[in-house]
Amino acid sequence: MTRFLARRLLLALLVVFLVTVVTFVILHLLPGGPARGVLGVKATPAQIDAFNKSQGFDQSIPVQYWDYLLRLLHGDLGSSYTLNTDVSTLLAERLPKTLVLTATSTILGILVALPLGVWQATRRGRALDVVSTGLAFVLYATPVFFLSLVLIILFAQVWPIFPAQAAQGDTVADLLSQPGSLVLPVIAGGAATAVAYSRYMRSSTVDNLAEDYVRTARAKGTPERTILWRHVWPNSLTSVVSLIGYSIPVVFGGSLVVESMFNYPGVGLLFWTAARNADFPVLLGVVLVIAVTTVLGSLLADVLQLLIDPRVRVPGAKS
Amino acid sequence: MRRRLGRLAALMCCLALAACTGGQVRHGVGGPNTVSFALPPSAAPNWILPLPIPGYTASYNGVIQSALFLPLYAYDGSSGAVALDDKASAADAPVYAPDGKSVTITLKPLSWSDGTPLTSADVQFWFDMVRAAKDEWAVYSKGLMPDDVTDFHVVDDHTFTLTLDKTYNPGWFTANQLALMAPLPKHAWSHDTDPRKNFDYLVSQAKNLGGYNSSPLWKVVDGPFELQSFSPTGQVTLAKNPHYTGEDAAHLDKVTFLTFTSSAAEYNVLLAGGVDYGYVPTTNLGQKPKLESLGYRIEPWNGWSITYIPYNFNNPALGNVFKQLYIRQAIQHTVDQQAISQVIWRGTATPGHGPVPQDNDPTFLSESQKNDPYPFDLDAAKKLLGDHGWQPGADGVRTCQEPKKCGQGIDKGTRLSMTLLTESGSDETDGTMQELKSELSKVGIELRINAQPLNTVLANGSTCEPSSPACAWQLSYFGTQGSWYFPAYPSGEQLFATDAGVNFGNYRDKPTDDLIAASTLSTSPQAMVDYSARLAEQLPVIWMPNPPYQVSAIDTSLGGITQDPLAGLQPQRWYRR
Repeated sequence: MTRFLARRLLLALLVVFLVTVVTFVILHLLPGGPARGVLGVKATPAQIDAFNKSQGFDQSIPVQYWDYLLRLLHGDLGSSYTLNTDVSTLLAERLPKTLVLTATSTILGILVALPLGVWQATRRGRALDVVSTGLAFVLYATPVFFLSLVLIILFAQVWPIFPAQAAQGDTVADLLSQPGSLVLPVIAGGAATAVAYSRYMRSSTVDNLAEDYVRTARAKGTPERTILWRHVWPNSLTSVVSLIGYSIPVVFGGSLVVESMFNYPGVGLLFWTAARNADFPVLLGVVLVIAVTTVLGSLLADVLQLLIDPRVRVPGAKS
Repeated sequence: MRRRLGRLAALMCCLALAACTGGQVRHGVGGPNTVSFALPPSAAPNWILPLPIPGYTASYNGVIQSALFLPLYAYDGSSGAVALDDKASAADAPVYAPDGKSVTITLKPLSWSDGTPLTSADVQFWFDMVRAAKDEWAVYSKGLMPDDVTDFHVVDDHTFTLTLDKTYNPGWFTANQLALMAPLPKHAWSHDTDPRKNFDYLVSQAKNLGGYNSSPLWKVVDGPFELQSFSPTGQVTLAKNPHYTGEDAAHLDKVTFLTFTSSAAEYNVLLAGGVDYGYVPTTNLGQKPKLESLGYRIEPWNGWSITYIPYNFNNPALGNVFKQLYIRQAIQHTVDQQAISQVIWRGTATPGHGPVPQDNDPTFLSESQKNDPYPFDLDAAKKLLGDHGWQPGADGVRTCQEPKKCGQGIDKGTRLSMTLLTESGSDETDGTMQELKSELSKVGIELRINAQPLNTVLANGSTCEPSSPACAWQLSYFGTQGSWYFPAYPSGEQLFATDAGVNFGNYRDKPTDDLIAASTLSTSPQAMVDYSARLAEQLPVIWMPNPPYQVSAIDTSLGGITQDPLAGLQPQRWYRR
């Protein structure tokens, strides 16, 4: 167990390191650099030279990367060119807001998905299963931005019961004080999660319902409800729970789109603004956060799998 | 069945409760006498000090600054022409000496919000800092402010005299030099006797965006508004300044500037009525009737700007080709400005034929520029090229067959094939470039389009020496939002004068230099008109349709709005009907 965890942690660090190398090199190889984007058309060559010197762009890429890595090891993500603030401060301001959105929509999605999957599995092949499966596929194939747009049109413009814009505020408390404005972003973010997990849960439950232990329990006269919730439900959950960790980067990616559509003041807004202004330190910081959460998510999934599925812990056992 | 009905009722209750707690407000936020204004996509105000450094010169920063701190002289288009806006200025009209070598300025009887009177020392405070730190000041151009003022003499508390290094055109000097000046509250902002240290101190304070709400510095204002809140996400709220002593007081209690991640996000909120004064992406202009039915009026906001594609006259391959006037004429003849404006920009852009903005004020516009000396005419373009020895090859691209006719420095076999470095990310720009490529191909000119992000285009399409690898670019377009926004006086000393900072294509023309010099020095406006005519005919760049600053959607209950071509707002004049 310890060896496994140590190996996975080392691998995680290596992945994060490679992500920083790749994103840093790609951003810094972009022709022109950020000087003109930041300083504008009217900047003089002297001002551009001064900017490049102050940011170290007059150094070679390896030297620049080495400096960046050293700063990173000291917890310094650099400073935004346009917002005059440390990237770590900016992320500390915005990340909790994004986490509120992603966590709420993911939890909501899971809360809907798991019972829905079981419900569909127990009605496998019946009209209700076919209809709900069809709807799920349509929703699954709908891009997040389009779903957001449909929600805005329906519930903010045609039937205006919710605002088209998410709550604006400097703190999480400000956002939570306007729950109505969080409804549409949470639904947009949670819908994809709900649909995806309901499919996994349905499939997993269908598999388990066909297992010998279920047949034995039925033969012994165990009530169907007990079979379903005491035996099938926990066994079906194992594969789905591990998927939650793996899907963290997907949730984050989706949140950027949701934040953009609803003007949610989280990391997404920061990312879009930085991309438009060629604010490299912010872009690197956001990518780094996503890389770390991705790696942590998959690590978490592995550990959860290890804890809930005894077959994984036995070397050579078939999982 | 009963249980299901119960669940349904519970769900409906939840929805209704959520709707009640966060239900939307039709048209704007904050209250009956407030206005919400949508800033451009991804724009986040990041500078409050009316003394910008490079990177902090965005127009929306200027709007917030001038609402809080009065400029010495404000210019806008509220009168229908770009002119001095006396009510929004901190001083009476300047008085120039008969020899034009000095100017005397008298301040209006204004006070700072803490009750201290505004004096000549406050203007000198600004001037001393700019003179001490001119290289750090974003607006500095060698030879201009503060270099062109040799002495600042305080006559009394409300009067001072500037001695100039030579005789300037007073109209130009006031609009493009004096308008840069702003009285600053010396009593509250002076940190050190050394102006350079003061400048550095104020810059460091202005960089602390998180401290704007609490810093006592920004509480001392002389404008019609004061800062109520400045969010790290970019949302800014200005409240009416109760201590304002001028004649241009605010009608509204509050103005909130909203930031959006994208124009789509802004448009969705606009449709839901969450913005009083916003913008409509050009692609959504088809929904104009719907917006009007929601209580908005839709108006293009024309900028005091021009849009163009510079030629790189120093490009080793095609520089000599671009130097031929007949080539530039042929290329200009292939630009179908009407079609681009009407079809691609959906009627919001205006054809442009010269170096003077022609959407708004006609004061400096020559007849030649107004009448388009090189209208869309493919036959005329073909004739110009054919007459000068360029014949189509097997692939349809013209090559120089008679070097004597082609022009100096052009070898036989030179192909009329050029690359255009253009700004990516805009449907309108992509469409414009495809249209241009199509028309040019009809006259035998091949155009290869290289779309890059704006900062890449700006970095790679700038001034260069012919021998430098940086001179590989041939044509460059950065005009999706207009290539150049002028200060009040639309002279070309930064654009088309030899070796000027933004003369990206290295255009050189002695008569143009003379006209530009005359326009800034002579008292006659004729120099500007002659300059307009000269460059409309000489084509230092390809003149392109000028897109609007934005197409605005304005709440019909909102009055007092002038869409200032200088991109100013004057929110103090807005009112609710």
